[in-house]
Amino acid sequence: MIKILLPTLAAVTLTACCNTGTTVVLIPDAAGKVGQVSVTTKAGTTNLSKANESTAATKAEQSPTSAAIMSTDKIQTMFGDTLAKVPIPPERFRLYFSSGTSDISAETRAEIGKVIDVIKKHESCDLSVIGHSDRVGDNASNKGLSIDRAKAVAEILTSNGIDAKCMDIRYYGENDPAIPTADNVAEARNRRVEVEIR
Amino acid sequence: MIQRDNRYVVRPTILCISLGILLLLPANSIANERIGLVKTYDPLAVAVRQGVEYQLEKGAEIFEGDTIITDPSGAVGIIFTDGAVLTLGPSGKLVVENFMFNPAEQKVSFISRVAKGTVAFISGAIGRISPKAVQFKTPTATLGLHGTKILIKVE
Repeated sequence: MIKILLPTLAAVTLTACCNTGTTVVLIPDAAGKVGQVSVTTKAGTTNLSKANESTAATKAEQSPTSAAIMSTDKIQTMFGDTLAKVPIPPERFRLYFSSGTSDISAETRAEIGKVIDVIKKHESCDLSVIGHSDRVGDNASNKGLSIDRAKAVAEILTSNGIDAKCMDIRYYGENDPAIPTADNVAEARNRRVEVEIR
Repeated sequence: MIQRDNRYVVRPTILCISLGILLLLPANSIANERIGLVKTYDPLAVAVRQGVEYQLEKGAEIFEGDTIITDPSGAVGIIFTDGAVLTLGPSGKLVVENFMFNPAEQKVSFISRVAKGTVAFISGAIGRISPKAVQFKTPTATLGLHGTKILIKVE
């Protein structure tokens, strides 16, 4: 009897002692911002929305545990190895344009100078140049305008020795405003090219 | 006469096949666009791509569908084209199942499956444009990410 029970007890203890399944922790990003994450199993959902909140989904057939704050010590124990290898996050610049044009102003040209310095500092051959517009004019012409702006910036970068092969040139048209507005509203902060240096 | 007729029949067929191949090529090259680059790395980490194993190192390219595997001393940090930063710690296995980044058409998606190991993830433009587009699947749960930074451990 004892012989049969012992292995059973050992198995139970093993299961009880160790976390199995999925553990999720929501943590602040480099800017201190905390987002949200939903963790869903077949039996239910737990939403995390506060810094260092965590939940465990041990089995697919059980609801995830309620949200609970995980101590920074425990986060370090569980995730320290991984956090140590997180790459330096990308740096981003916004270069602004006048309404309806892809001409580069003197101020924007000066800002592009800073972008070039950062690309050289990172020794980066991985950057995106993404054109945007505000919502004046129709969607189709704004796509054209936003790609022209991205190309105008890319041209200055290449003429300063940045290899075109390192650039991922894209355009969003009016679909990713920095400041959301109603249609046909002029918004200077949305007439921009975003450069991300990775 | 018959031979000549055959020739005329065959030629347009060859032309059609050639055109077909030409039309397929650009489509393929778009589908095979790289989606990220390896920035940090501890040996040993590999990507399995269409059954072939590629050893990862700094600057290695990552493609949609890649299975990324680290051994007990391995780790890999990837920055994706939307600016998202994903780090897979030791003894990990993760598949980038679906990555679509076409913001002008509002077609964005970033779905990964974590089989085991620890992951640190900081969302990028895809998460900003469409919060529902960023998902992680694990053996027990599905995670819907609404911005910024999470840690995942799958045991």
